[in-house]
Amino acid sequence: MKKRNTTNIPLGGLEKKVNFVNITTENNQKVRNQMNHYILKRMLQLIPILFAITFLSYGMMRIAGSDVVTQKMENTGTVVSEDVMDAAREQLGLDKPFLTQYFVWLGKLLRGDMGNSYVSGKPVFITFISKLPATLLLTIVSIVLTLIISIPLGVLAAVKQNTIIDYLIRFCSFIGNSLPNFFVSLILMYFLAIKMRWFPVIAKDVSLQSVAMPAITLAIAMSAKYLRQVRATVLDELNKDYVAGAKARGVKFSVTLWKSIMKASLVTIITLLMLSVGSLLGGTAIVESIFMWDGVGKMAVDAISMRDYPIIQAYVMWMAIIYVVVNLITDVSYRFLDPRIRLGREEA
Amino acid sequence: MENEKNKVTVRVQKIKKNYIKQKLIFFLILAAALIFAAVFSDKLCPYDPYAQDLSSAMQAPSVLHPCGTDTYGRDMLSRVISGARASIFSTFILVAVISVFGTAVGVFCGYYGGILDSLMMRVSDICLAFPGLVFAMAIAAVLGGGIQNAVIALAAISWPKYSRIARGQTLALKNAPYIHAAILAGDTSGQIIWRHVLPNMLGPVLVTAMLDIGTMMMELAGLSFLGLGAQIPMAEWGSMMSTGRSMLQTYPWVVLSPGIAIFISVVIFNLLGDTVRDYLDPKNNRSARR
Amino acid sequence: MRTKRGIAMTLMLGLTVSLSVISASADEKKTFVFGDTTFNAENEEADVNPQNTYAGWACIRYGIGETLFKYSDDMEIEPWIAKEFENVDELTWKITLNDGVVFSNGRVCDGEAVKESLESLVANHERAAGDLCIDSIEADGNTVTIKTTEPKPALINYLCDPYGCIIDAEAGITDNGIVIGTGPYVATDLVADDHLDLVKNENYWNGNVNIDEITVRTISDGDTLAFALQAGEVNAAYGMAYASYPLFENDDFTFTSTPTSRAFYAWMNFESPVTSDPAVREAIAMGIDKESFVSVLLNGYGYPAEGAFPDTFSFGGQNLTTESYNPEGAKQVLEEAGWVDSDGDGIREKDGQDLVIRWLTYPSRQELPLLAESAQATLKEIGMDVQVNCTSDNNTIRKDPTLWDVYASAMVTAPTGDPQYFFTSCALDSSVSNNGHYHSDKLEELAAQIEKEFDTEKRSELGIQMQQTVLDDHAYVFCSHLKMSMIMQSNVTGLVAHPCDYYELTADLDIN
Repeated sequence: MKKRNTTNIPLGGLEKKVNFVNITTENNQKVRNQMNHYILKRMLQLIPILFAITFLSYGMMRIAGSDVVTQKMENTGTVVSEDVMDAAREQLGLDKPFLTQYFVWLGKLLRGDMGNSYVSGKPVFITFISKLPATLLLTIVSIVLTLIISIPLGVLAAVKQNTIIDYLIRFCSFIGNSLPNFFVSLILMYFLAIKMRWFPVIAKDVSLQSVAMPAITLAIAMSAKYLRQVRATVLDELNKDYVAGAKARGVKFSVTLWKSIMKASLVTIITLLMLSVGSLLGGTAIVESIFMWDGVGKMAVDAISMRDYPIIQAYVMWMAIIYVVVNLITDVSYRFLDPRIRLGREEA
Repeated sequence: MENEKNKVTVRVQKIKKNYIKQKLIFFLILAAALIFAAVFSDKLCPYDPYAQDLSSAMQAPSVLHPCGTDTYGRDMLSRVISGARASIFSTFILVAVISVFGTAVGVFCGYYGGILDSLMMRVSDICLAFPGLVFAMAIAAVLGGGIQNAVIALAAISWPKYSRIARGQTLALKNAPYIHAAILAGDTSGQIIWRHVLPNMLGPVLVTAMLDIGTMMMELAGLSFLGLGAQIPMAEWGSMMSTGRSMLQTYPWVVLSPGIAIFISVVIFNLLGDTVRDYLDPKNNRSARR
Repeated sequence: MRTKRGIAMTLMLGLTVSLSVISASADEKKTFVFGDTTFNAENEEADVNPQNTYAGWACIRYGIGETLFKYSDDMEIEPWIAKEFENVDELTWKITLNDGVVFSNGRVCDGEAVKESLESLVANHERAAGDLCIDSIEADGNTVTIKTTEPKPALINYLCDPYGCIIDAEAGITDNGIVIGTGPYVATDLVADDHLDLVKNENYWNGNVNIDEITVRTISDGDTLAFALQAGEVNAAYGMAYASYPLFENDDFTFTSTPTSRAFYAWMNFESPVTSDPAVREAIAMGIDKESFVSVLLNGYGYPAEGAFPDTFSFGGQNLTTESYNPEGAKQVLEEAGWVDSDGDGIREKDGQDLVIRWLTYPSRQELPLLAESAQATLKEIGMDVQVNCTSDNNTIRKDPTLWDVYASAMVTAPTGDPQYFFTSCALDSSVSNNGHYHSDKLEELAAQIEKEFDTEKRSELGIQMQQTVLDDHAYVFCSHLKMSMIMQSNVTGLVAHPCDYYELTADLDIN
């Protein structure tokens, strides 16, 4: 985990090109064993974390003051008798002690039963799974858009460092970085949907056309952050001696840029992107509920206002698990892609 | 020839260094002005930010009300100035708490190691396992609305970042020869941490904290949007924007005034953070060392 | 590298192409999209099954189900599925149905079908069972005879409640909560919190239906709803934020509004050392600027309230006398009661105690935070320090009378078009939500009378007396009534706001 923030990866360099396809078979075997060992270790480390995640997400929701029965009554604006409410509590198992409730919940969880939503009465897991594809689509499209926006702009800003273009790009990134998500959503909605009529305001179905507005909103916010990181990474690489060397040898700058610099920066860029998935997962909640995108984020926001604990629990828990797994994959692929770490390990 | 070139490089780097220094002073002054506005917001407000006058509601910006008035006829300029206190202070307190606490935990764990270290690191693993805003939403949902609760929620998820930085640095420093020398000289652990470890930590922590101010301001605003941040009638930028958002088309000044305020402060703190990083960056000090 | 770039290019291209394809549907079907902020699980309208909590509202609003009787614009009982009723004795009601009523699946809606529907209702819906107190139902051709376990003067009113929608109990209820009713539209698809698809009921018994397809979109965010209406993605909208109204006050859009019995009002806590003082309660009643609240903060879309019910009811506010906004008078009342500002901080005190009002309210109704902030300012002028606690936890807090002084809420005071409901629910010793522990001997006596009174006019008269009693005690301050509004594109006709808020999409709906 510590190594996550390492930014300079000396992968490039025309003369000392490391080609890991050509590593000998036995070496390969060794590396594979080591990778397997590493992955296994990371998987084992995951278990206490997962345990803690479940406990925390359960515990947090249960110490909240109000419960669904009183909550329900408030929203309707009419009056229910105390007996009816107590009966409802008993039916939901809300009268038992905390730890009992947790272990009952955990036991069910292991059997794939996350309980029923207090509000709709439907199984939480099925509800969650049915809404997950929409969120995944939104996440993936936003990431793709983020890459499309930020990599060219970031590289351009780095190459044209301290020129008008650089300043302009950086200024735009500041704007995107300094306005709350919900505000960007509203501005975009106003211009792209009302003024230009390019995209629909509300999502009609889970399709690419409907995903446009929420994805653009998320991508703009994310690109603003990400662009700076791309710029910094490329700048780092640009300042390396081999760039000057290539120039001295008369290699075209565009060749150096695409063949060496980009290749060297790519691992860092991808890693940083994976790490921002966390903030993306959080950001989807706000954006989904603004654009009526029927995903898990909107489900969570709705559930929070309704104190629908089982749904909130499921959301917090699954988001945490997804995030942990994404991090794991990043770490592993990072090791796999970066020969220094991979080979360095071997030597140690 | 070689010598000549070196001289030029040194001069260029000196100029660069001076330029960074000037930039730093410039942004420090801007940041100080913001903090000044936050501290003396009571004195600076032309009107009482909470005084309503329904007969003058929704007035467009004018000489009397440079930023217009809101639904209740309150002066927007006064509310924005007064909101500086809530927004900037809560962000400052938040960032101060997490950076101090996080660093302390990190240094402690890194220096002493052992069971406590692995325990704390597991705790921070768990905190890091939750995507930021998701966890904050959950905490705020449990604690209920209110700016304090939003701050607590964000603090709970943000401190591990600092303890990781601090721990990494401490581990690297722990085996440095001068630390061994200090131990031999009979310095106590406390002295070593205070004199040798912490000063080395200051740079990266400071830069992270500066850049965090902007991020945290955004996240507080996001929580306010979800109804989990500041409550009425408190003048706080995030909640002012979120309650005023329905007036974007009809009375835009109600939402743009706090929006611009957030924008300006985030930009200032971000640029300040960047400049501090440049200033502390050894690459820019190379001239001095050579 | 090249392949990666290729993939990226393809993705980009694919995205652009699919984004620019605009779905073109060029058939002659009349379609209508309705945006609604309240059709969601949060408001207990997760589906359209009338026997599921408050989902009956969706069932009746969107024209899927119909009740035996309905309310006229003056909230009088009118025939609907049934054509008449006869109150045989205190416990027996004989209801005669219209001929030719059929469910959308073609089944005839006769006495037997109504019996099945009502029996299923009382078996599944606790609130309905408690309201109706049905002992037995007998069906004979087109007549239904209902016997109740105790005298229920308001039985017919209760049957007009959305839960009383008659559904085909034989056809049952689908997993996602779709039922078969007798209304002009048939539900085909439903995703809770997202959308409901409706098609024209080809078998509709009561006239022609103009619109072929309707989509009801749940749009919880008021701004998104405004944008969607502006962009023409919805044809009409319910629940728009007041601040967005000016956007639609032009020729392209029309409004339909009506006063409803949803009242925004403040409950006084009689256990609190502050609000148990009659002078303080009177001063609060005089210190709230109802007119400005309605005209400025609600953009004129509301009605300043006198009593619990709006003027459209025969027992409405026109019959009552109460305080109007009078800050000077309020100051005098406080002054006389010994509340004076002796330390010059603008807040009055008495016996060393500051005049602090803890104002409890909740955010899910957009008007309540507005009311709280506005009352906070006007009451400050008369020397009260109002501390607003706007929380979704209000129902836990209000059970503990030591935590609040004033509780502002938004309740439908006459969901059945009858005055008794309001008092039994919150103002009597026996009321569950009488959390402020208000007690009045006179009110208890009047409540006992209305319980047994079958004559509508006399019930109205009692309702007026009960409201006046409450107002004289300043136990509640009624601030305003909701002016329920829908905004639609100007080519939409037949969408009319109704005082009881039950009927929205009807057979009259059309797009020209």
